Amino acid sequence: MIVIEEQARSLFLAALEQTPDAWPDFLDESSGGNSALRARVQELLRAHQAQGRIDGGDSDAPAASLDHLHAERPGTVIGSYKLLEQIGEGGFGVVYMAEQQHPVRRKVALKVVKPGMDTKQVVARFEAERQALALMDHPHLAKVLDAGATDRGRPYFVMELIRGVPITQFCDGNQLTPNERLELFVTVCQAVQHAHQRGIIHRDLKPNNVLVTLQDDGTPLVKVIDFGIAKALGPERLTDKTLFTAFAQMLGTPLYMSPEQAEMNGQDTDTRTDIYALGVLLYELLTGTTPFDKERLKEASYEEIRRILREEEPAKPSTRISTLGQAATTASANRKSEPKRLSQLFRGELDWIVMKALEKDRNRRYDTASSFAADVQRYLHDEPVQACPPSAMYRFRKFARRHKAALMTASAVGFTLVLAMVGLAAGTVLVLRENRRASVARRHRRPRYPLARSGIPPAAALGELPDAEDSFARSAFVLLPGRR
Amino acid sequence: MSEVTRVLSAIEQGDPHAANDLLPLVYDELRRLAAQKLAQDKPGQTLEATGLVHEAYLRLVDVEKAQHWNSRGHFFAAAAEAMRRILVERARSKGRAKRGGAWQRVDFEKLDVLTSVSPDQLLALDDALARLAALDHVAGELVKLRYFAGMALDQAAAALGISTRTAYRHWAYARAWLCSELLKDA
Repeated sequence: MIVIEEQARSLFLAALEQTPDAWPDFLDESSGGNSALRARVQELLRAHQAQGRIDGGDSDAPAASLDHLHAERPGTVIGSYKLLEQIGEGGFGVVYMAEQQHPVRRKVALKVVKPGMDTKQVVARFEAERQALALMDHPHLAKVLDAGATDRGRPYFVMELIRGVPITQFCDGNQLTPNERLELFVTVCQAVQHAHQRGIIHRDLKPNNVLVTLQDDGTPLVKVIDFGIAKALGPERLTDKTLFTAFAQMLGTPLYMSPEQAEMNGQDTDTRTDIYALGVLLYELLTGTTPFDKERLKEASYEEIRRILREEEPAKPSTRISTLGQAATTASANRKSEPKRLSQLFRGELDWIVMKALEKDRNRRYDTASSFAADVQRYLHDEPVQACPPSAMYRFRKFARRHKAALMTASAVGFTLVLAMVGLAAGTVLVLRENRRASVARRHRRPRYPLARSGIPPAAALGELPDAEDSFARSAFVLLPGRR
Repeated sequence: MSEVTRVLSAIEQGDPHAANDLLPLVYDELRRLAAQKLAQDKPGQTLEATGLVHEAYLRLVDVEKAQHWNSRGHFFAAAAEAMRRILVERARSKGRAKRGGAWQRVDFEKLDVLTSVSPDQLLALDDALARLAALDHVAGELVKLRYFAGMALDQAAAALGISTRTAYRHWAYARAWLCSELLKDA
């Protein structure tokens, strides 16, 4: 059935004259049996309702017209704070150094949020957390002191003023070795743990929010900033001003965004989201680059970003260093090392630690920031770490999920091929214990999935995969070289 | 008296053709202002299209004289149209056509300082606006005035010479239509 938009429009406007509970009947009567028309009008009405709920009628409030010109600038007074100079600009606002007048005179950092955010909501969300935030008191956490709205109705946050540089910059600038970086990283974890214990998730951990400042005695001091702010600011709402940006702006930086965050249902993040971001930070501290290439994510569409974060395995730090090319030389110099040595250093335990934090499945990550820190510290003290490479069984299952169709047709003989594809060479002894963990003695390293590209010869069906796994689990396989 | 004030005065006095003179004058000023701001390239700048419009207003119009003129609305209507053209020009020159649909394009670091919307999104918005205007001319004008010139609903209504109530109906439709348009591709 054809929908003539003009008709839909008239019906939509007519419906607006009535109360929402009258709509179903009204639609039935007026759409004259044209189900497509009815559906279209319903679509419009739903969109209308969604808007109204979100901006609570704000869209009809007088715009701050000429006020636009009186942008905040040095000298402006907001509440009991006088802006002194601009010190930065983030994705959602501008940061100033400001002077607090009362109750105490001190310098603070004041962040004014860009227009387009629903101020009432932002401040309300912040207020909800204010109590918890006030309880935070940790040497490595910058305190959020206050929040409010400017005369023009823009939300602002007042924070402890930290004069420092992003941790990545600090480490590079001072050419800290991997171990020195790891030690700084441990303090970051401790700060995050403190906040998590008070029920506060950061949601936007990244180098710009992890600053390092030098104390009087020359020792570096890590300060994590912006706790409590990311949550207050999101999720992005559909006000009339942000109607067109809402679909574009995701909360957080994609480089540090966890797979669950990218799914756009912001409610579903928990402390392990921060763990993921910490993993990205550690990855960057070690290799000089993020797990997913910045340029690549910049070019990708929203859907692609989600897919990449959800499905793609980033290269392990040791592998990444070897594939960086020119950048590896710079990165190594910043770590007082060389690419080859760095790669060797990362291989094994550091790789495992980082990759554990970056697991797509958040249940497999470190469950707390302190267990993350503990493992790093074990590494630093030459003690065995808890992170380990994914078991052969786990890798096999992951592989199986992705290539189910192909595997279903592989024969029992072809099982060898399957094992080869999972990265286990012929001559491998697999001993699987009762608790299903596999320890693997590897003699030869093969590139992953070497045969996947050449194609698997079709053969008799292998049978249901779970069975294969079970028998696999209960036996020991010895694969002799040369067996097809 | 500045040129624009003169034109507004003429409109105020009922000259039906004066309005045509507005657009080129406003357009030039806005281009100049935008170019000036962008050339300064201060790391901390937060430019907004609507901010530019209001700054242009202060520069071009004798505010005291114009305070109570109905013709003020004409200025903003012209400014909104001028701003739209400038932004679309910029977007076209920057824009890259990529698959996946403009609404899915996300360009975090290159978001335009003038609108905080990426070039592709702006072009898609402009396209959607054109289609909306074809369906409901007043709705199209309202969106333009509110989005590009930052006007409140009642101010926009006055600029268009319609009652606030009528404007609200067109606006409600505009929003619902745009929302369903955007959700279609998301």
